Amino acid sequence: MLRQIWIVSVLNFKSLRSRLWQSMVIVVGLAATIGVMLSMLSVSAGMREAYAKAGDPNRAIVVSKGVDQEGSSAITRAMAPLIAVAPGIAKDKDGKPLADRSLTMGVPVLRKDGTKGNTVMRGFGDKGPGVRPEVKIVAGRMFQPGKREMIAGLGAQMMFQHMQVGDKVILPDGQWPIVGIFTSGDQLEGQLIGDSETLLTALHRANYNSMLVRLASPDSLAALKSALTTNPALSVDVMRHSEWYARVANQQTFALALLGYIVGVVMAIGALFGCLNTMYAAVSTRGREIATLRALGYGAFPVAVSVILEAVLLSVTGALLGAGIAWAFYDGKLDLFGNTIFHLSVSPKQIELGVIWAIVVALLGGLFPSIRAARRPVVEALRAT
Amino acid sequence: MRYLPLIWTAVMRKPMRTLLTLLSVAVAFILFGLMFGLNASFDIVVARARADRIFTGARFGNGNGGGIPIAVAHQIAAMPGVKVVTAVNFLPGYVQDSKYSVFLVMLDENARKVVEDWPIPAEVWNALHKDRTGIVMSKIQAARWHKKVGDTFTMISRAVKRADGSNTWTFKILAIGDDLPEQSNGYVLGNYDYIDKAKPLADQGKISEVDLLANDPATATELAQRIDQAFANSATPLNTTTDKMARSSKDFNGLDIKAITRGIALAGMFMVLFLTGNGIAESVRERFAEFATLKTIGFSDRAVTALVVLEAALPCILGAALGVGIAAIMAHQLPGLMPPGFGLPPPTVSPVLMLWAAASAFVVALLSAALPILRLTRMDIASALSGRA
Repeated sequence: MLRQIWIVSVLNFKSLRSRLWQSMVIVVGLAATIGVMLSMLSVSAGMREAYAKAGDPNRAIVVSKGVDQEGSSAITRAMAPLIAVAPGIAKDKDGKPLADRSLTMGVPVLRKDGTKGNTVMRGFGDKGPGVRPEVKIVAGRMFQPGKREMIAGLGAQMMFQHMQVGDKVILPDGQWPIVGIFTSGDQLEGQLIGDSETLLTALHRANYNSMLVRLASPDSLAALKSALTTNPALSVDVMRHSEWYARVANQQTFALALLGYIVGVVMAIGALFGCLNTMYAAVSTRGREIATLRALGYGAFPVAVSVILEAVLLSVTGALLGAGIAWAFYDGKLDLFGNTIFHLSVSPKQIELGVIWAIVVALLGGLFPSIRAARRPVVEALRAT
Repeated sequence: MRYLPLIWTAVMRKPMRTLLTLLSVAVAFILFGLMFGLNASFDIVVARARADRIFTGARFGNGNGGGIPIAVAHQIAAMPGVKVVTAVNFLPGYVQDSKYSVFLVMLDENARKVVEDWPIPAEVWNALHKDRTGIVMSKIQAARWHKKVGDTFTMISRAVKRADGSNTWTFKILAIGDDLPEQSNGYVLGNYDYIDKAKPLADQGKISEVDLLANDPATATELAQRIDQAFANSATPLNTTTDKMARSSKDFNGLDIKAITRGIALAGMFMVLFLTGNGIAESVRERFAEFATLKTIGFSDRAVTALVVLEAALPCILGAALGVGIAAIMAHQLPGLMPPGFGLPPPTVSPVLMLWAAASAFVVALLSAALPILRLTRMDIASALSGRA
């Protein structure tokens, strides 16, 4: 059976050249569909990757129970020390737990093109640099705790106006100067950082938003989690930082990814009709050839499979072509969405998705023509012109 | 027109091929209609933005119910370059159940000057400021709450409490106004004095937003920045934007929507062009001897060309009509389906867009028929008739 399928398919592909232009219809259709879909998804995929890199698995975040946004979470001054003494948290060289009180707030800024944008102002406590050692100052200096000053990320400097050392940013209690620029290698670079305690006063807030802790080891999360969730004085959720970021990324990119998939589905339907058209034409052109094969004794099933295989080959070629174009144009380009600066991504996973879609379209598009090829009475087909 | 049967038999020769071509074209034109419809919606919204109008609100924290002292509005009114200023207070809430949300905008007497382009007649503005418990609803909102002129409208606001402690606000509907393209959810307008005096004393004198007109539209952007700077170190920093900036289509969180939609529509057209081009080429190739016969009996090159173009155009134009029609229906349903606050206006499928679609369909047909027509005009009739071409 497999040998039959192989032989018929090879015969099929050899005659492909005589049906070149019709076959190109499938290739172009899938190339357009997958090219457009992956280009659109490059934004949401790129954002998700940026967030995935930001979440270090050695870090855990503690937020109020049941919140899905850091801004809605509240960690009170009373809760902070209780969280800091929990098991599983790494200690710094003085033996103090690496647990940092963190704040977050939205800050309106001006994009480089003059339109209004927003970024995030993050509060670091005294353990901030310890919990996030990847933050490095590349210009100016670090802010001093207790002072109304801040540092800006290199990404923020690239995307927004007035982000040089010495520029001032308007906060609720007045303007704070930028005293330094930092890098961190992740999406934190699109944000601003200041001192948590000073920010609390400036914002007239009583509570922090979250606590970020460095785990003693990646496996300590379980111990930390059970200690905190069973503490009757606390009502918190604990999760790995990477998991938290994945959740945030999904929220932010959900609508965009949905749009990409919807456009992809619509175009795939268009490509499907083209595929059906071509395969019907292919089957009718090869009518006599197929009938001869069947008269010789090749089964109907191998014939049908060979038709579907042809469709799959053409559509996968088209998908790879479209993915290649999307990759060449967009992969790696720096982009901005909201306050996240990230690189557009056309990754192997995306391309794999495109290929799977192409196979589905080919299966649907090749099915009916293949059935017709298999069921057409041999004698009638032999007589066809 | 007497050659219509010729075209019809040509098209119906392989009905499956024609049908599939038509369906594929229809799908491409659904995308065409939705994408260019979206661009058209943006254009309408941007065109309606006034170059001299500026909004400003609290830079931080929510302005719902009131966050800026009304003195800020007076200070802005005194700034050079400002023509007229109106204080606005928001009243967010819901009707009976918290999932039926509603958003009231309470305005003062200057509002009519700042939004003079809104379809609200002078008598309605007068009535709104005479009857302080009155509100004006747009048609969309009136339909949602099943209200007509003269009805009472009751809503509950968690954010804004009355002096007597209750959260329930009752209004009388004075008029129902036409809707605005830039507010796809409609509007409900009320009287600022009423809400201000009804709040507890400590909360009075606060507003959510200041809307203003600049003296000179050319200076609007500079004026907006000046306002931000003036309040940068105050207790309530402001975030000021011009009407034009707020409505820009380049600004969907930083993405250029128009470029993206154009790219998608073009990709769809390209896909279809290939398909139809192939279909027509095949059809002409199959019937080469037929065309040779037609030329022998006296059809001119021009007539044969016309036949082929019309044969190509039939599925294209029909498919385009079907596709744009479906797009129009989808555009109508979309506002109901999309999550609120998505940010994109619903696509507008206008007669102009349909004309563009028809023109594009015709161009696609022409392009796809180009090469086959070339072959037909160059054919050697004798060898074509014998089937050897």
